[in-house]
Amino acid sequence: MTDDSLAVGFSAPVGKPGLRWEAVFWFMVCTVPVVAVCVPLGLFLVTGFWHVENGTMVPALSLDNYATFFSNPTYVSVLRQTLTLAAEVALGNMLIGFGIAYFIWRCPQAWHFPLLVLGTIPLLMSYIIKLYALRSILGNNGFLNQALIGVGLFDKASDLFLFNQTSILITMGIIYLPFSILPIYLTLERIPQSLLQASADLGGSAWQTFRHVTLPCSLPGTVVGGMFSLILALGDFVTPQMVGGVKGFTFGRLIWSQFGMAFDWPFGAAMATILLILSLCVIVAAGAIIKRTEAV
Amino acid sequence: MTPGERIVHALLGCLMTAAFAVLYAPIVLVSALAFFPTLRGKVDWSSPSAAAFEKLAGNASILDALLNTLIVGMATVALSLALGTLLAYRTSRRNDWVSRLVEFVIFLPFLLPPIITGLSLLSAFQQAGIPRSLVTVVVGHILFVLALVYRLLLNRLRSIGASIVDASHDLGASGWQTFRYVLAPSLSSALLTSGVLVFALSFDETLITVFLSGDDSTLPIRLWAMIRVGFSQDINALVILILAFSAVMTLAISRLLQTRRARTTE
Repeated sequence: MTDDSLAVGFSAPVGKPGLRWEAVFWFMVCTVPVVAVCVPLGLFLVTGFWHVENGTMVPALSLDNYATFFSNPTYVSVLRQTLTLAAEVALGNMLIGFGIAYFIWRCPQAWHFPLLVLGTIPLLMSYIIKLYALRSILGNNGFLNQALIGVGLFDKASDLFLFNQTSILITMGIIYLPFSILPIYLTLERIPQSLLQASADLGGSAWQTFRHVTLPCSLPGTVVGGMFSLILALGDFVTPQMVGGVKGFTFGRLIWSQFGMAFDWPFGAAMATILLILSLCVIVAAGAIIKRTEAV
Repeated sequence: MTPGERIVHALLGCLMTAAFAVLYAPIVLVSALAFFPTLRGKVDWSSPSAAAFEKLAGNASILDALLNTLIVGMATVALSLALGTLLAYRTSRRNDWVSRLVEFVIFLPFLLPPIITGLSLLSAFQQAGIPRSLVTVVVGHILFVLALVYRLLLNRLRSIGASIVDASHDLGASGWQTFRYVLAPSLSSALLTSGVLVFALSFDETLITVFLSGDDSTLPIRLWAMIRVGFSQDINALVILILAFSAVMTLAISRLLQTRRARTTE
C-alpha cells in the first residue's frame, strides 16, 4: 500500500493491473474539488496584499489595504455596525427559532412533519422575490404603513421601515428564520424521552427539566441555527442593496462595491479576507461550543 | 401538562402562527397583485385580469433567463451528484486523512459567506482568462452544493453498512460491479432527494451567481436587475409561477423524505 493511498483499494489485491488506473481515478476525484476550492481562494486572498496602479493590479506584497481599512473610521464603523446587525439577526432568530422549534416538538407527533415543512418552504421560495415583496410591504406606500394608518396607530405614512438599518434587520430576520427552526428542532428531537422522564421522576418541575435537560441538550442545534444567520448576515450584499437604501450600508455591500463602481479589487479582496477570518472565527466558536456540550 | 406549561405552549403557538404569517404574507400579497393593476402606488382591487401573464409570455429576456436557469440547474444536478457520490463512497470505504481533507475543503463554500466563494472564483477565472458564461456559473453552483450531496450520500452509505459490500467482493465482483449492482439501487432515493434539493438551491442561487454570470444571466440575476429599475406587473405574474414551482418541489422533497422516514422506521 505505497502508491495507492488514494485508491479505495478493496477490490483489487496489490499488484493487479487495474490498480494503477483506479489510483489515478481516485486521485482525480479527490483533487478536482480540493483544487477548485483552494486555488481560487488562495489566489484571491493573496490579491488582498496587492494594489491598483493606473487601472491594473500590481502584484507587490504589502499590508497597505489593511492599513487603509483600519485607519478609515467610516470603514471601521460600517464593519462594527454590520457585526452588531448580524449579532442582532442571529440572536433574534435563535430566540424565535427556538420558540417555534420547541412548540413543534411539544405538539402531537403527527404534526411535527407538516409543521416543519411549512417552516422550511420559505427557504425554497425565490430569495430575490422575497426581497421584492418585503420592500413593497415595508415601503412608504406599502401595506405595513397602510395597515398602521388603517388601525389608527399612525396618522401619516412613515418611512421608518424602509431604506435604513432597521429595514435590513427586519428583512434579514424574516429571510433567515427558517435556517434556525430546522437545526434546533433536529436536536430537540434527539433528546431521549427517558431523560425527560428521569428528570420528572426525580421531582424536577417543568421549568427545572427545561432549564437543566432540554436547554443544554438542544444547545448544539441552537448554536448552528444562530451561526447560519450570523454568517449570512455578515456577507449578504443583496438584502442591504434592496432594502437598505443609502443609509443601509453593510460590510458585504462595501466589499461588493469594490468590484463594481470603485473597481479596487485588491482592496475588496483584503476586506473579503477580514470577512473570511470573522466567519471562520464564528464557525470555530460554534464548533467549540457544540463539542463541549456533547462531551458533557 | 400543567396549567403553566399549557399557557407557555399556547403562547409559543401564537408566536409560530405570527412568524409563519410573516414568512408567507409577502409572497402571497405580491402574487395576488399579479391579477390587479396598480396605478400610482394604489392597487385597483376592482378589476382582476390575467394581462400580467400575457405580458410575461411576451417578455423574451425573462423566458431566456428561465431557460438558462433550467440548463444550469440540470448540469449542476448531474455533475454534483456524480462527484458527491464518488467522494462519499470513498469516505465510506476509507476514512483517512484524504477524506478528512476533502470533507473540510468542500464544506468551505457551503459554510462561508457566498460572496467569498463568488469573488474568489471570479478572480480566478479572470486571471486564467476564462470568460464568464453559464459554464462558470455551473462551476460555482457545484462547489456550493457539493457538501450537501456528500453529506446526504455518506449518511445513506453508512446506513447500508460494509458487510454487504464485502460480501459482493467475496463473490468476485469488481469495484464497479459492486457499485452498480449492490450500492446504486439502495442509493437511488438518497440521490433523488439530493437531486431535487440541489436543483432547488441552484434555481435560486443569487449571491454566487451574480459574480459568475456573463451575458447569459439566470432568473434571479435577471429579476434583480429588473426590480432595481422598478416594479412591473409581469414580475408579479412570474412570482406566482415560481411560487407554484417551488411548492411542487417542496412537496416532492417532503414526500421523498417521508417515504425514507417510513422505510427507516419499519
